[in-house]
Amino acid sequence: MISRVADHCFWFGRYLERAESTARVLAVTQHHVLDAELTPPEHWRPLLTASGQEPHFVEQFGAEAVGDGDAVQRYLCFDEDNTASMQRAIAAARDNARSIREVISLEVWETVNELHLWLDRGQGATDWTLNRHGFYRRIRQAVQLALGLTQSTMLHDTPLDFIWLGVLLERMGQTARILDVHHVAFTRAAQAAKADPTTLGATHQVIETARWLALLRACSGGEPFMKVNQGRVTGESVARFLAFEPRFPRSIRHCAHAAYTRLADIRPPESQALPGGDTLAQLHGLTLWIADKSQEHLDLSSLHGMLVRVVDETAAICDGIGRDLLGNVTRPTPSVPPPAAAPPQISAPARSTQSQS
Amino acid sequence: MSLRDFARAQQLAEIALLNQGVTFSVYADGRGKSLGQLADGKSRQLEKIFPFCLVPRLISAADWHHLERGLIQRVHALSLFVDDVYGEQRILAEGVIPRELVLGAAHYIPFLKGLKPPGGVRIHIAGVDLIRDPQGRFRVLEDNLRTPSGVSYVLENRLITKRVVPQLLDQSRVRRVDDYPNRLADTLRSVSPSFPGTTSAVLLTPGPYNSAYFEHSFLARSMGVELVQAADLFVDQDQVFVQTTRGPRRVHVIYRRTDEAFLDPEVFRPDSMLGVPGLMRAYAAGNVALANAPGNGVADDKAIYPFVPEMIRYYLAEEPILEQVPTYVCARDEDRRYVLDHLPELVVKAVDEAGGYGMLMGPESTAAERDEFRARIEQSPRRYIAQPRIELSAAPTWDPTGTEIMARRVDLRPYVLTGRDGPWVLPGGLTRVALRPGSYVVNSSQGGGSKDTWVLKDAPEPRP
Repeated sequence: MISRVADHCFWFGRYLERAESTARVLAVTQHHVLDAELTPPEHWRPLLTASGQEPHFVEQFGAEAVGDGDAVQRYLCFDEDNTASMQRAIAAARDNARSIREVISLEVWETVNELHLWLDRGQGATDWTLNRHGFYRRIRQAVQLALGLTQSTMLHDTPLDFIWLGVLLERMGQTARILDVHHVAFTRAAQAAKADPTTLGATHQVIETARWLALLRACSGGEPFMKVNQGRVTGESVARFLAFEPRFPRSIRHCAHAAYTRLADIRPPESQALPGGDTLAQLHGLTLWIADKSQEHLDLSSLHGMLVRVVDETAAICDGIGRDLLGNVTRPTPSVPPPAAAPPQISAPARSTQSQS
Repeated sequence: MSLRDFARAQQLAEIALLNQGVTFSVYADGRGKSLGQLADGKSRQLEKIFPFCLVPRLISAADWHHLERGLIQRVHALSLFVDDVYGEQRILAEGVIPRELVLGAAHYIPFLKGLKPPGGVRIHIAGVDLIRDPQGRFRVLEDNLRTPSGVSYVLENRLITKRVVPQLLDQSRVRRVDDYPNRLADTLRSVSPSFPGTTSAVLLTPGPYNSAYFEHSFLARSMGVELVQAADLFVDQDQVFVQTTRGPRRVHVIYRRTDEAFLDPEVFRPDSMLGVPGLMRAYAAGNVALANAPGNGVADDKAIYPFVPEMIRYYLAEEPILEQVPTYVCARDEDRRYVLDHLPELVVKAVDEAGGYGMLMGPESTAAERDEFRARIEQSPRRYIAQPRIELSAAPTWDPTGTEIMARRVDLRPYVLTGRDGPWVLPGGLTRVALRPGSYVVNSSQGGGSKDTWVLKDAPEPRP
């Protein structure tokens, strides 16, 4: 297929997944605030960190605003200057879809177009004010509908592979980021509580469990987790589930493997003459590495380093796909920083300038 | 159907058009109003639905037969004219049309002299604008032989009609329009320099910011051909390739919806980065067919229009079936004097502008506007023509501001496809309607709308 069209397919998938992920995390956090005993900044800061927008947010609204749930939500939903805001992600998904209207089905297009119009014409903002839960739900449902329709109304061919390659790589990066920033926040809270037992949210098991459950729900993993672990919620078991459970569609391991399968369909490993061989090999390497790690004992103290590697390699693989298959201008691949102690340095979501237009 | 039912149906139709993204873009450069700014400071483009009136325009079977014959005759003569201009130039040598008027035209391309397009067809897609005068006769207002647009609205309007008032359509014995994309695909394949089975055709668009982008993507997907931009294509050894995720793939036919000035910077605009370098070499070598063929601009020039009846007589030895509108060519001294003396009665048009831009509507103009046009005409007479204002026929139209059906002026753009095996006329065409009371301006960029056009089938033979 045409490289530029493949590029739009890839970014269409990425932006849709990003919008849905943001909607889900915001909805869950909103509920979680009501019963988990954390300070407001402890709730909301990880969302800004995971989106890569914390410095920009603080610059715009001041450090105090990190604890203002409404301000953070408005910023992540609607802010015109926030390159990662949901409204911009949906507008970008729609722009990409419009550029490949001849490739995606009418049903997919209409779903995304209607979602965009609902936001763009202000109806979304009104619903956000009146019915926050309904607002997030509508976005999630529309995106899930659009992605489901890609499977049921499009040819199962290269364009669909590129859309899902975008979805899966974005999803893998999101899961890694969310797990990382929350794990760090929980660890910090636990350390603070140990130092000062009078702190809000002292580390007894109930609160610890509630936090990890909220994280699971932010990844739509609550029920699947229970089926696998039968109610035994610990930091290790949740982290292991989100990182390694091969049957869970948002786990890092599942996404890496599924993305590899899609890329191998697009660019078969045996065809030496086609572009993209190195990127395919890198994704394969990452898949094998994660599978190996899943066999080892998971130590929470080593989790951060592992997740940083996943995030960085995902970014490098996306760059490689852009360069080799999508006809993007070559960009330097960011180096992989050594595993750092908390707080984590999460790089901003990689994005193509072309697809942002 | 009661007016209230109608209002509801009309509203359903508009929502459907919006949700499906059946829109055109208005350039936010002062000609249209900008909705706002993007964060990066670039002005944003407006996407608007083409206002749609659910009341159809009816054309009888007899009227249509007449029109169809007239259109085929006209397009045939025009294509012979383009062939001649880029060939022997007999018509110029014999003085039927002034040589300098043709060879001095902005759209005359010396590069094409002596070149025959692959497949032999030049005007694959023609859109001929017609109006109906007070006597009920259809008259040609303008020929569009380069990249005529609007056919997607014909098909979308019919889809919406089918959805919203199916029983009405069913009872009315209306000829179908939905085989246009297949006919177009056949037309394109028929001129391929490759075998039909192995032909790779693409549709070339300037991109999503072009005002007709909806149509480009509509046609591409309804034909199942790829929609490409110039940057997706490149030329190697006089062959055209498209860049794919699996490397280059050969292209044989390009339905180009870009201006020819942006086809190939080697031939047209060397200053421009747009286009596909070498495309015209590949075309000259016969390795790629372009639809429409470049060069047709010499025939749909507004200053050439007055000569089309002469062309029909000259090339076909027939009398023109369709009438035209009397036209004054300002390049001719006598005509120019008349135009300058009668500005308040005339419609003055720039020969190289489209979409209702660069016009003077004499009867509605102010003295200042007339003075401005007088100066422009005197400075470059070749650029202007003038016509008496013909009373356009009106059709019953839903008034979007009220809740009534009113008379509004309409025109009609039928589409003629010509492949290697001859012409085919889409039954109907785009009916544009002036939505403002009293207005003569039907262009989408100037607030016009559209209607479904129903060409009725022949009455069944009466039983003996």
